[in-house]
Amino acid sequence: MNSTASPTAASPTAASPGLASGAAANVNTAADTALVLPPLDSPEVAEMHQRMRRRAGRGRRLTYVVAALIAAWILVPIYFVFSMAFTTQETVRSYPKNFLPFIPFSTDTMRFFLESEGVLRGLWNSIVVALITLVLSTLISIPAGYAIARYLFRGRDLFRLSVLAVRAFPIVVLSIPLAVLFLRAGVFDSLYSLALMHTALALPTSILVVSSVFASVPYELEEAGQVFGATPFQSFRHIVVPLVIPGIAASGLFSFVLSWNEVFAAAVLTLDNRTLPALVLASLANSPDAFQFAGSFFLMIPSIVFMFFIRRYLFNMWGQVTK
Amino acid sequence: MKVRTWRRRLVPYLLIAPAIVYLAMFFAYPMYQGLVLAIYDDDAVLPVRSEPTLDASEVSKIPQGTALRILDRRSQAMIEDGEAALLTEQWFRVSGSAAVGTSVNGWVPEARIRVRESDAAGNPLTGTVRPKLGQSADPLTDVHAEPDESSSVVGRLEQRVSVSIAEVAVLEVWFLVQPAEDPDEIAGWAPSRYLQVFEDGERGRVHRGTAGEFTSAFIERMIDDRFFEPALRNTLLIMAMLIPLQLVLALAMALVIHARIRFSSGFLYVFALPIGMSDLAAGILFFSIFTGNGLLNSILDGLGLIDGPFAFLTAETTGWILFAIVLAELWRATSIVMVILVAGLQAIPDETLEAAELFGASYWQRVRHIMLPLLKPSIQVALILRTILALQVFAVVIALSGGDVVTVLAHESFRQYFELRNDNVASAYALFILLLSITSAVFYLRSVRSESEVRPT
Repeated sequence: MNSTASPTAASPTAASPGLASGAAANVNTAADTALVLPPLDSPEVAEMHQRMRRRAGRGRRLTYVVAALIAAWILVPIYFVFSMAFTTQETVRSYPKNFLPFIPFSTDTMRFFLESEGVLRGLWNSIVVALITLVLSTLISIPAGYAIARYLFRGRDLFRLSVLAVRAFPIVVLSIPLAVLFLRAGVFDSLYSLALMHTALALPTSILVVSSVFASVPYELEEAGQVFGATPFQSFRHIVVPLVIPGIAASGLFSFVLSWNEVFAAAVLTLDNRTLPALVLASLANSPDAFQFAGSFFLMIPSIVFMFFIRRYLFNMWGQVTK
Repeated sequence: MKVRTWRRRLVPYLLIAPAIVYLAMFFAYPMYQGLVLAIYDDDAVLPVRSEPTLDASEVSKIPQGTALRILDRRSQAMIEDGEAALLTEQWFRVSGSAAVGTSVNGWVPEARIRVRESDAAGNPLTGTVRPKLGQSADPLTDVHAEPDESSSVVGRLEQRVSVSIAEVAVLEVWFLVQPAEDPDEIAGWAPSRYLQVFEDGERGRVHRGTAGEFTSAFIERMIDDRFFEPALRNTLLIMAMLIPLQLVLALAMALVIHARIRFSSGFLYVFALPIGMSDLAAGILFFSIFTGNGLLNSILDGLGLIDGPFAFLTAETTGWILFAIVLAELWRATSIVMVILVAGLQAIPDETLEAAELFGASYWQRVRHIMLPLLKPSIQVALILRTILALQVFAVVIALSGGDVVTVLAHESFRQYFELRNDNVASAYALFILLLSITSAVFYLRSVRSESEVRPT
């Protein structure tokens, strides 16, 4: 213990050791105030720094442990179902389960799933609906997103707010009346009507994402193009479009995955033209576990790919709700 | 120039027009329809009229399903509106020799003629007059000028006389009805297509109304439904267990990401993975864990904690099913809360946190006194979003319980629509979910705001 240290500064629980050590050198050497601070190179300060580093290091290790635990919590169920999807059907039925990876590896379960009645058609239906949703929602959200990002017009905030509100509405509430309306219009059990519904669900998020993507491209770039003689459309086409393509692709992927996952409306709106989730849902009660596990593998694959491609836009998509 | 600026001002509206039209068509309009379906009954009441024709004035309205007393019946020309399933009466235009030897030509109800010959298409050509049963009955059959009992009698035919049939008229029967339990009510006429007439021909009920009416019948039926109470209870229970757990886990995830450790982007990817996952897939994941020969039993067995698999997902273990549902939802939907919280954390200036650290605030003190208060708006949004999503849990529940053992509101809406084909009650459920969502959103908005007014941050 250094004898020059004041009791306040020496105490490890001092309220402001950092401030004290920082301010000490230039303020308090000459002025004889009540607070006497240790010089910066004193062992006292060094020890304190060490303690802080140790504490930070301990915290760091704890952070890694927590991170690993949470990652395991998310990955273990996925891993388990994937290993069930790529093994023999006997293994799926067996007990107790082997926890080692993919033992024995086999495409037996997967083949059984794909050869079950209606599965290939369900996969195809899902792809068709998701693609229509992707195209429709992208086509509609690009102009709307551009308008929000680039123009100040009366009603802009109202439009933005209502889009936000629409996104929070429950799917369940929308599906039933829409199904009744489609039934009355005679387009029940059609993939197109389901795609229309999915587009309505995807549109709000698409619009917000696209507008934030456009907003991230400075308008000055567009203006610069026009200064150099490009028409507004040309400068949009050659300057803005290349910069926003990745973001718009991300929002399109979002619509695709939303449609791929959506099960309530799909189950309500379709009967024979089931999409994959609706098919799996309908056969939950009377299908073997192997069917369900292989089905959930197909349900998860697009989202895993999707999350890889859109991770840059994660906060554009969901973070901005607070602003 | 003026025209150009006017045009330029129009541009943003043209750009958002497709989105507005689309959302109006496929969002606002169905929403409105859903409301109408839940509280408006398209065929709630049947208007009854002063005369047996559609032109006659309405004398009263009788609700669907009311028991009726039938006072009179009369046949009328068919109403051509494409509706089927009605009580009809046929009349034949016949000619034959009357008792006094003259020829009679007029209309007789089909019941009075036995058809003897028909052409290839089944149209009657000739027949004989049926004898009337009973001693006291008038042996002669009236022939009417019009196919109507009340029209004038042009002649009378002896029983068993041969007649030729020239024309057939199909008439609809109208009934003069009166609510059975309310004999003071004015009686009125209604066509048979909307009525159900019992065997004795004196009693019946209103089968279907033709006029709409606002009604609470569907909402009452929803509340009386035997699944309503367990569905509501389970939904609220899941919400109450899920949301606090979710906030804590999401906060832990967000703090880990915000700590900017190594592989931070990798962790962010893993943590965000469930955002894109379908709820059905999440349900199946946790089914694979909790099912009889699943992962949990295998691990417990391997550790020697149980002998033989324990059945978690049965009707006797609804507690475990609820627990599994909560875990599955926690797994699936916590990531989105995390993203919102990370975005909120990123909005906190680094200087603020560094200053606190400089003043000796420990990590937990910084979390408790700086991050959490500044995160309040984010938490508020996350709470609203999560509550609304928790009110719609559906596929997870079906994957883990089959939907019958443990049921939730969204599933009841689905059941009413899909299994019971009752659009109105299904819409009532949907409306109920919407109301709960709005109520909880308002609740969060108010409670969080007023708190921050009391204790400014």
